[in-house]
Amino acid sequence: MSKKYSIFITVLFCVFIFGFCGWLIWDMAHPRDFSEQENRWLAQMPELKVGRLEFPGLMNGTNGGNFFSGEFMEDFEDFVTDQFPLRDQWIHLKAQSERLLGKKENNGVYFGRDGQTLFAFFDPPAADDLQKRMGYVDSLAGNVDVPVYFSLVPDKSRVWADRLPANAPNVDDGSMNEAAKALAGENVNYIDLYGALSGDDAFYRTDHHWTTMGAYQGFTALSFGLGRSGALIDYEPQLRSDTFYGTTWSSCGAGWVKPDSIYTVVPEGGLNGQVTVTRYPEGKPVDGSLYDLSRLEVKDKYSMFLGGNQPLCILRNPEGTGRLLVVRDSYSDSLAPFLALQFEEVHLWDLRYNNMSLKQYVEDNGIDQVLVLYSASNFSSDNNLFKLGL
Amino acid sequence: MVFSTPYFLFLYLCVVLLVYYITPLKLRNLALLILNLIFYGWGEPVYILIMFASIGIDYTHGMLVTRCKNRGNLRGAKAAVASSVIFNLALMFFFKYWDFIAGNVNALAGFELMKVLGHPLPIGISFYTFQTMSYTIDVYRGDARTQKNIITFGTFVTLFPQLIAGPIIKYKDLDEQLEHREHTVDKFASGVQRFTVGLAKKVLLANAIGQLWDVYKATPTGELTTLGAWLGVLAFSLQLYFDFSGYSDMAIGLGRMLGFEFLENFNYPYLSRSATEFWRRWHISLGSWFREYLYFPLGGSRVKAPRMIFNLLVVWAATGIWHGASWNFLIWGLYYFVLLVVEKTFLLKRMEKLPAWVGHVYALFLIMVGWAIFAVEDFGQLGGYLKAMFGFGAGFVDGDFLYYFVNYLPILAIACVASTPLAKNLWKKLPEKVWKAALPVVLVLGLVLATAYLVDGTYNPFLYFRF
Repeated sequence: MSKKYSIFITVLFCVFIFGFCGWLIWDMAHPRDFSEQENRWLAQMPELKVGRLEFPGLMNGTNGGNFFSGEFMEDFEDFVTDQFPLRDQWIHLKAQSERLLGKKENNGVYFGRDGQTLFAFFDPPAADDLQKRMGYVDSLAGNVDVPVYFSLVPDKSRVWADRLPANAPNVDDGSMNEAAKALAGENVNYIDLYGALSGDDAFYRTDHHWTTMGAYQGFTALSFGLGRSGALIDYEPQLRSDTFYGTTWSSCGAGWVKPDSIYTVVPEGGLNGQVTVTRYPEGKPVDGSLYDLSRLEVKDKYSMFLGGNQPLCILRNPEGTGRLLVVRDSYSDSLAPFLALQFEEVHLWDLRYNNMSLKQYVEDNGIDQVLVLYSASNFSSDNNLFKLGL
Repeated sequence: MVFSTPYFLFLYLCVVLLVYYITPLKLRNLALLILNLIFYGWGEPVYILIMFASIGIDYTHGMLVTRCKNRGNLRGAKAAVASSVIFNLALMFFFKYWDFIAGNVNALAGFELMKVLGHPLPIGISFYTFQTMSYTIDVYRGDARTQKNIITFGTFVTLFPQLIAGPIIKYKDLDEQLEHREHTVDKFASGVQRFTVGLAKKVLLANAIGQLWDVYKATPTGELTTLGAWLGVLAFSLQLYFDFSGYSDMAIGLGRMLGFEFLENFNYPYLSRSATEFWRRWHISLGSWFREYLYFPLGGSRVKAPRMIFNLLVVWAATGIWHGASWNFLIWGLYYFVLLVVEKTFLLKRMEKLPAWVGHVYALFLIMVGWAIFAVEDFGQLGGYLKAMFGFGAGFVDGDFLYYFVNYLPILAIACVASTPLAKNLWKKLPEKVWKAALPVVLVLGLVLATAYLVDGTYNPFLYFRF
């Protein structure tokens, strides 16, 4: 290697590391708060607290600081990685090169065979865990005097199994639903949704949620299950956004995947504007709407349905009949507008934010039917199901 | 601190190069010493005290040995060496083996006889205690000069490129360079190439393949199929090699950027045709350390057969347990003891006449079985894993295997080729014009891709915490 060439290689390397070094320091001085792409808050510069060094146990005696314990350095490392220049582009580059290498997954997400569908890994609960979870549903049925219905939204990987990479292991093969059905006590009415969900519009390609069409298919089956007609609805779907990138997309950086579209079917306020929404974001009632269009401006566009997660939300329709309480997860938000067409009242109850007795609430509000509705993956992982028995 | 992180590459390394090269030649060791201490103290600041203790005690012992020798007091010199060895081993024993022994003693006794301390393992302790031990021994043997300058000595003890994961450098190999080393742009440029190769090996190959091993490590042994178990071990074999040799490459490259020349640590180990040859190609600096400071002093091979076998037993038990305070590492060491004795006594001679491929298959088979013992620390699981490998698992093949095999096939194929000198030999055959044009492209591509994987950073384990 000639000296000239060595100088060239040396300069090349130094330009690369010092260039990004300078850029990184600039970015660290002007940190980003939030990553739209990853849909999360980014780490900020940690505050250094030296604290006192003490030697009771020689090495682990640190008090009042984050320096001697090494925590400051760990937080600083996160800060550097999170604020690294062109972070989003690096993440896309990595995902892209994984795909070019023939990988069928990245960061816990499968790349569908069509190149456009993304599946988050699905891990069913162990048999004894599922039994425990179903036990909570049973205890609710034993607690209240009104009929209790239970239903699981099958995972996208089950309904769209044909789009999965061959032999993909972390998927919903339906065994969980079967086991849950078998475990459900005689007081619990199990409603199957798998048979109802089909077609290219049932789920978002970039998100785990069902689409409005999927929710409608689910509604048909649920409505029959709850003893209703499953009324046919012939509204024109209305496009609300065609730039929706869901959470599955966020976690895998698949930049080549096209955005999803969000449609609504039920018009705001229902058929004749008779449906009203009351939200209880912090305990006190607030006027709400079926669709919070301001949410279309942010990353998490799915939260436009009823305005996202909340402890309690009540939909009222004076033309409907019966009072339904749904123990909800986020899948219920796009389903609720359909339910509101048939029921006088639909109460969406979120176990995560409610510690009061469900039994008491059911009695106090004259609820006629209780539906426990979870997506298969949320039902596998939620830590609040024990509150069903409160 | 570890090399394969954005803050090492784009902050620490930049500071090091800047500070080091603007410091006048005479003060560079001091500058390096301070930078080394920052590197070491980054994760566990309190453990810098170990560094100070190591520097002080080994420095004093070196002086002591020399003084005794100069006065003709050989017994005193010996005692000083012994004291230094005891200090270093005690340091390693305390942090690395205390809890392991306490756990076993307490289990035997049925009550808490020894307190389990739970100190985190100081990063790289097995590497630097071995390095400093070599100093006093070499001074005593007359193989190395006494280092009278404590700053220069401190620079040796704490030298950051190889501090935490080797290569294990003997003092005598670095002696001259500590005082006079050349800083040429040629050396720097070759360091850049070596470092980039190492970074790519660690980040692009080892981390990618390590995820496959993690899948099989987490699989309950009752669900392991034969092909699955072998795929898992293959993944671990490749992960460990690229992780470790990638680290050595980065160390050698960083050393060159700072004017040092370290010895090689790997020489395409998976090309070996016997277990004996494997250990001449794998972690060379460790093998050579044990040979020089343990095997030869015991008498090596120049003794009667039973004594030689005993010597091998000691060396391989030590090699095994050096890799971690856990029974499986000891068994792994003894496994190689048996293999080496068998090969030394008769097998190698007989194998000479066989075609080369037989040797390759034989060696790879044994190496992979060895890695299974090495990788699965839990005894109950290890039994289940080996059973599955030898056909007593949950069948021969399942859908999971097919998925993982297809998913990882390209990267496994790349890794297998990369563990041979094929690419290097082809590169050497390229006309100068071609490689001169290709080199910057390859370098930048390597750096850019490695940066992408580091910034994404979901999977970046550090394998040598146990060592």
